[in-house]
Amino acid sequence: MRNIFSNGPSYARRMLLLSFIAGILLLVDATTQWLKPIRLWATELTIPIFSIALFPRWASEVIVEFGGTANFKEKSKLQEVELLILKGHLQRMAWLTAENVRLRNLLNATELLQHSVLVAELIGASPDPLSHTIIINRGKNYKVFEGQTVLDADGLMGQVIEVYGASSKVLLISDSSHALPVQILRNGMLSIAEGHGDFRHLSLRYVASIADIKAGDQLVSSGLGGRYPAGYPVGVVVSVNAVSGNPYLAVDIEPSAKIDQSRYLLLVSQTVETFGANRDAR
Amino acid sequence: MLDKNYSLYFYSSISLFMALLLQIIPVFPPMAYWRPQFLLLVVFYWLLKKQHQHGVTFAWLAGMLLDIFSGQMLGRHAIAFSLSAYVLVLLSKKLYNFGLLLQASLVFFVVLFNQLLMASISLLYRTDWNIDVLVAPAITSALTWPFLSLLMNGLFKNGRLNQDNLFEEQK
Repeated sequence: MRNIFSNGPSYARRMLLLSFIAGILLLVDATTQWLKPIRLWATELTIPIFSIALFPRWASEVIVEFGGTANFKEKSKLQEVELLILKGHLQRMAWLTAENVRLRNLLNATELLQHSVLVAELIGASPDPLSHTIIINRGKNYKVFEGQTVLDADGLMGQVIEVYGASSKVLLISDSSHALPVQILRNGMLSIAEGHGDFRHLSLRYVASIADIKAGDQLVSSGLGGRYPAGYPVGVVVSVNAVSGNPYLAVDIEPSAKIDQSRYLLLVSQTVETFGANRDAR
Repeated sequence: MLDKNYSLYFYSSISLFMALLLQIIPVFPPMAYWRPQFLLLVVFYWLLKKQHQHGVTFAWLAGMLLDIFSGQMLGRHAIAFSLSAYVLVLLSKKLYNFGLLLQASLVFFVVLFNQLLMASISLLYRTDWNIDVLVAPAITSALTWPFLSLLMNGLFKNGRLNQDNLFEEQK
């Protein structure tokens, strides 16, 4: 027969001891990097379970598959049209790139970088709604590196912050700890876009009230800071408001990337452009 | 007796695992704000039903598990879970005799307490906080509690668990 009164340390004592241990862990983790290897190792172990947690997606895929092929046919037709349009754009793109390289060579400017991409799939998201990190299914096995840029079909999405064996963790641009250097396409004005823990809004920091910026301006990454390559679309300015008592403008940006919907992502790696005029110059 | 405890721990870890899966299904805000704290609810269930085998340590372990899965600070959920579990243990004698709805309203406050703790711990490394994150999980957790409680009662009724069900004895 069990005792009603617990034998062993009381609940209060146990609670205090355990919170003390957890508190020490927290403080060590918050102030030093000592626990990082342990955390990396533990996270790596959790990845298979993250994949199991994708079962709603599998279920929906099965439903779609049995849902009839009519939908599929329509979809593939649409995709064919889209592919045609994009290929059309690409034809001119090659010529433009070649010309750009030639002109830059004439100007003695730095070499253009060519970006090659790797397709990755989203396999998990942080259970903490305030931390905007996702897990993708490419890691050391595909030579993913820390700081690598992640795109979706429409724009810049984030950067790799931790690399595991066959997966890696991506910090999204909407995370409140994230900021990235951007440039307004219309006039080249530089600024910094910050996340706020909201997928639909970013904001610009320290935009002077006389700055030339208006709703509808397209923002691209500026390449300053050395983390992100230049020229990838970041977002569109939605509204510019003066805040009374504040010397800076409140600029609201809608990210181009569908951060909360994209399932397939692109990992960008840079290689130096080596064709045409550039090669001749060497 | 030991054997019985083993099967009990087997059941509780299976249910923890299921709750963990529900907790990490990729859902994005603002929907993610409303996700009930499944793991905490399952911890509460075992705390109420099998208090001799599942106490603050159990909650602490569950919190540590969630910490590893959220991949941020280690110990964040562990502290919050063990403290809220302690609060629940203090209240548990009363909670036994409550109906499910009354239990649910208490669950609301304990989850709210848990979220508040989490919020204050997050201040160690981030300054933003969203009121939705505080209240929304508490509301949905309270709404989920009766269903979860009934479901788990039903699931474990035919198992060996019922042989020394504290809940039954109390009645």
